[in-house]
Amino acid sequence: MALTLKEQLSSPSGILKFLVKYNTVFIFILLLIFSALISDVFFTSVNLSNLLKQVSGIGIISIGMLIVILTGGIDLSVGSMVALLAVTFAILVNLVVLPLAILITIAIGFGLGSISGYLVAYQKMAPFVATLALMTIARGLGFIYSKGSPITFKTYGGLYMSNFANNSTLGIPNIALVFFIIVIITMVMLRYNVFGRLIIAIGSNEEASRLSGIKVNKYKFLVYAISGALAATAAIIVASRTNLGSPNMGMAWELDAIAAVVIGGASLNGGKGTAINTLMGVLILGLIGNILNLLNVPSYPQQVVKGGIIIFAVLLQRFESK
Amino acid sequence: MKEPVNEYRLEMSGISKSFGVVSVLKDVNIKVKHGEIHALLGENGAGKSTLIKILSGVHQKDSGKVVLDGAEINPKNTHEGQVLGINVVYQELSLVKDLSVAENIYLHKLGASKFWMNWKELTKNAQELLDSLGFKIDATATVRDLSIVQKQVVEIAKAISEDTKVLVLDEPTTVFDPTDIKKLFNNLLKLKEKGISIIYISHHLDEIFKIADTITVLRDGIDTGSVPVSKTDKDSVIHLMIGRELKDLYPVRDLKIGEEPIFEVKNLAGKDCIVHDVSFSVKAGEVVGIAGLGGSGRTETAKLIFGADKKKSGTIFLEGEEIKINSPVDAAGYQIGFVSEDRKEEGVFLPLSIRRNISVTSFGSISSKLGFINIDSEYKKVLGLIEKLNIKTPSSEVNVKNLSGGNQQKVALAKWLSIDSKVIFIDEPTRGVDVGAKIEIYKLINEVAKKGVGVVVISSDMPEIMGISDRILVMHEGTFYGELQKDQFSEENILRYSIGEPLK
Repeated sequence: MALTLKEQLSSPSGILKFLVKYNTVFIFILLLIFSALISDVFFTSVNLSNLLKQVSGIGIISIGMLIVILTGGIDLSVGSMVALLAVTFAILVNLVVLPLAILITIAIGFGLGSISGYLVAYQKMAPFVATLALMTIARGLGFIYSKGSPITFKTYGGLYMSNFANNSTLGIPNIALVFFIIVIITMVMLRYNVFGRLIIAIGSNEEASRLSGIKVNKYKFLVYAISGALAATAAIIVASRTNLGSPNMGMAWELDAIAAVVIGGASLNGGKGTAINTLMGVLILGLIGNILNLLNVPSYPQQVVKGGIIIFAVLLQRFESK
Repeated sequence: MKEPVNEYRLEMSGISKSFGVVSVLKDVNIKVKHGEIHALLGENGAGKSTLIKILSGVHQKDSGKVVLDGAEINPKNTHEGQVLGINVVYQELSLVKDLSVAENIYLHKLGASKFWMNWKELTKNAQELLDSLGFKIDATATVRDLSIVQKQVVEIAKAISEDTKVLVLDEPTTVFDPTDIKKLFNNLLKLKEKGISIIYISHHLDEIFKIADTITVLRDGIDTGSVPVSKTDKDSVIHLMIGRELKDLYPVRDLKIGEEPIFEVKNLAGKDCIVHDVSFSVKAGEVVGIAGLGGSGRTETAKLIFGADKKKSGTIFLEGEEIKINSPVDAAGYQIGFVSEDRKEEGVFLPLSIRRNISVTSFGSISSKLGFINIDSEYKKVLGLIEKLNIKTPSSEVNVKNLSGGNQQKVALAKWLSIDSKVIFIDEPTRGVDVGAKIEIYKLINEVAKKGVGVVVISSDMPEIMGISDRILVMHEGTFYGELQKDQFSEENILRYSIGEPLK
């Protein structure tokens, strides 16, 4: 609790405890070292910036997933939402001015998330079921509006977005900056804002929250809506990177997002999890993919390794409470 | 029927049991004959339920011996108990709501021997059983759709099967009206004729004297001996149930009670619970106790007022003005606090720190308009409360699950003290709390009242409620049966009102 770093590291069991407590950071650093040793190209700016670009989309929806999971819920719709909203953005960017296109896309994301939120909070539907329904609806709508094929950006606004998405500022890819800003805002909200405190309270004991006079339904509703808005942000980013919106985007991303949140030590029962650890979870998943690519490991074995890492990370967390 | 070999069918001797440091049963003895109805009596918390749970295999005894038909038994779980012929009807119903009546009655047999179920026969048998009990219940109906009385009957039917040797009924009649009770008694007498031994737990002394052969009274986990019903009367049984002295636990009440009621409830009734026609008021600085037996509607009343359960009717006044409370959010908005009896499930956030627990109700005063928390003032507030309530902890960042029961309870109280509540309902303020923390909590309640807060304390602990209240309202079957002023306080009087008897 109030132990300093030095006290924690002063005994062998202290070191073990420290490793268990910061296991995600530990795994991340281990992977970094391993990657650097095993491949010459890993620590090149091209590779690292590629890595960051690859994880930014999933990273943003993972943050949405985190706040939903903190309340004890789950949002399965985010992957499909990315597809539908990428298509939506591609259509809009060809129709209206860029800022409006961005705004409307995010508003639609918020609205779709609100549907899940309404069903979960006010209709008492199980989050798994409500968001599963939204997941198929969103994917279906994506195919309907795009008529099954990708929609490319054709206007100056679209060009501007694809420039933005593929360039860097101070050596960091712009879209990774967007991701990091979202992580920082979430971190601050969870730590220093009433909103964050209350969603954690709701996730750790919903009945006690209700009896403490907390507007449980309102906050449960809001987290899904925010998750939807973040899915829209991710959609804009991935669409801009490739200059098009396709209904095939974001396939199974909800699962990667859940994996990232879980690797980051969050509890699926709610009430436990931080933005910084989710960021670590996202980076760990990204790193594994990246290094296995560099080693020319085909994608199927990659999935096996990913699964193994998830099990390892969660097993490690079990020691934490002991 | 075979001639019984032993005089007693069931002998429990020297039974002791503690949970952690709390000793619940101390050297308890009870002997039940073949075909005897044996009443088990005692106040809330006297250890009746624990004794039964040891018999049925829910809990394991620490020491002692249970002998059934001459052979020592040690059921490790309820299934083993049932196989031995011990069936219990618990106070809390334990039916599977989504299965049919017949499936529930034969639940313990489903999948036990045969691969295929003979639904037709099973349903037929269940229907015959229900008919023989004299209650009209369709064996094919889903339990969810039954009334509470019907559910209780199904529960009893479930416990009666051909191989039952000992049948335990824990407060079976709380939901029954007199005609139902008569039917039940007829059935019990029939079972008794068959040689089944029945242990009957009830607070209704009338019932006991009508049906039981022998009475055993438990008091604070010790049995006071068994007496045949013919050799005793109600008054001596009540005496046996109380028989202890008030300890020097309670602070001297510092009376500064206001003139006008700060809080008033009129004609409160619940939609889904037994509470009806509840009216009372609390003055500023007054501590009102609500006593009554478990299931009499005390907790439900508090939850109705607090907006946690749905009201059917009732008006509430705070400082003379009518207020509408439809949810706990409204109640908290009016600075009405509620400390739940179920600390772990409804009171505190176990995985969160003390700081996060306490400030959950009071963000208004320590955060900006945009909801950003002023961490400095949060610490100041929380540390102040930790000191004031004497919560024993190395820091405010310790998770509440690592605290003792007494300190957890203080955290639950601190939550409502941090917003300067006008009225606080405290349900079972010291359940599972050690004596030292008890005294501190009593002092705290006293201090809170001194500040002009109206305090309503619900408690099953009679010495406690007499020690801290200025006035006691006694609940019986969902409404206030009587009110006791300070000079009328006695365990006997409370008990009499609780079981619906007039004062002597």
